[in-house]
Amino acid sequence: MTVDDWLAAFAAELRRRRVDPAALVAEAATHLRDSGRAPLQVFGPPAAYAVTLVDSLRGATAELRRAPSGEPRLEATKIIKRYGRSTVLHGVDLRVHAGETVAIIGANGSGKSTLLRICAGLISPDSGHVRIRGTLGYCPQDGGTADFLTADEHFVLVGAGRGSSRTEARAQGRTAAAALDWPRPGTSGVARQLSGGTRQKLNLVLAGLGDPDVLLLDEPYQGFDNGSYLDFWQQVWRWRDAGKAVVVVTHRLGELDRADAVLDLTPGSPR
Amino acid sequence: MERRQQWLRGVLDLCVLGALTRGESYGYEIGQRLEAGGLGPIAGGTLYPALLRLERLGLVVADWRAGDGGPSRKYYRLSAEGKATLASAGADWAVFVGNVNAIMEVP
Repeated sequence: MTVDDWLAAFAAELRRRRVDPAALVAEAATHLRDSGRAPLQVFGPPAAYAVTLVDSLRGATAELRRAPSGEPRLEATKIIKRYGRSTVLHGVDLRVHAGETVAIIGANGSGKSTLLRICAGLISPDSGHVRIRGTLGYCPQDGGTADFLTADEHFVLVGAGRGSSRTEARAQGRTAAAALDWPRPGTSGVARQLSGGTRQKLNLVLAGLGDPDVLLLDEPYQGFDNGSYLDFWQQVWRWRDAGKAVVVVTHRLGELDRADAVLDLTPGSPR
Repeated sequence: MERRQQWLRGVLDLCVLGALTRGESYGYEIGQRLEAGGLGPIAGGTLYPALLRLERLGLVVADWRAGDGGPSRKYYRLSAEGKATLASAGADWAVFVGNVNAIMEVP
């Protein structure tokens, strides 16, 4: 690995983690010039070094989290849902504004996916109501793709439902796929030949087709490798910065600083 | 050698502060000072994260300057808080080392 290759990879890894690479890369480059030694010896692999630096910076990046400023796009009020005798959701409120990311967390069975499906209008609550202002994209935890259609056919089909032409939908889908480290979806074959992780990328791309105002994402990164997982959060932030309201169901508690607000559905936790 | 690395991990930040009492400096040169001080070579992958943490905590302050006609570099210097931390943590460390020596002494 040449010095330039290493520095480029290091910059990309920092960008993936939402850290401006300029100063850190310049400092590393000066050090390499001064010491005349190989980057792998001095700093180790670019990704690992980026992680260490970002950890050192933590606290400094807390201002990434911000208070909502846009209008409310999604308002779920006093949602109650029972399955048989057990009540899964006990009067949950969720409000997400334009330009805001909310993470929904909670133990298994605490109703995270149920709440998301209620917000998406796929199932009805026993009481309470959901109000969505604008268009909606939903990414399920699994399923959601048709086994015998190719990625392009999915783009066209879902795009058509959202008023995009074939060409538009295909172009938008391919661009979004590339941003998730899936460079050539056109040559990947039909959905059932895709790996679990790639099928989830397809799901995520479909959720974002047609530029919906509200995005509901149910642990959409199952099967992603670590790089794609970081790309996923980049995508979430791009949506947020474009004024979308984004809801992410997640179980990775270590990553909650990536969201602007957190709703914990674990019974007994403050709402 | 592995043990040495572990020791260093606990006091590297204080050593960096100590190295900066000899005047402001940039990353590579700070590493040289530490090596000259007998700490062995300090990998950049260890040194710069420590510098970032110290900067974030306000114990050092840094700015970019071109020095002596050379390339632009990030220079670090001790803040007042860094000096105070070095004095108090340095004293704690001396007590700790004294206790460790005493306990390891063969009777």
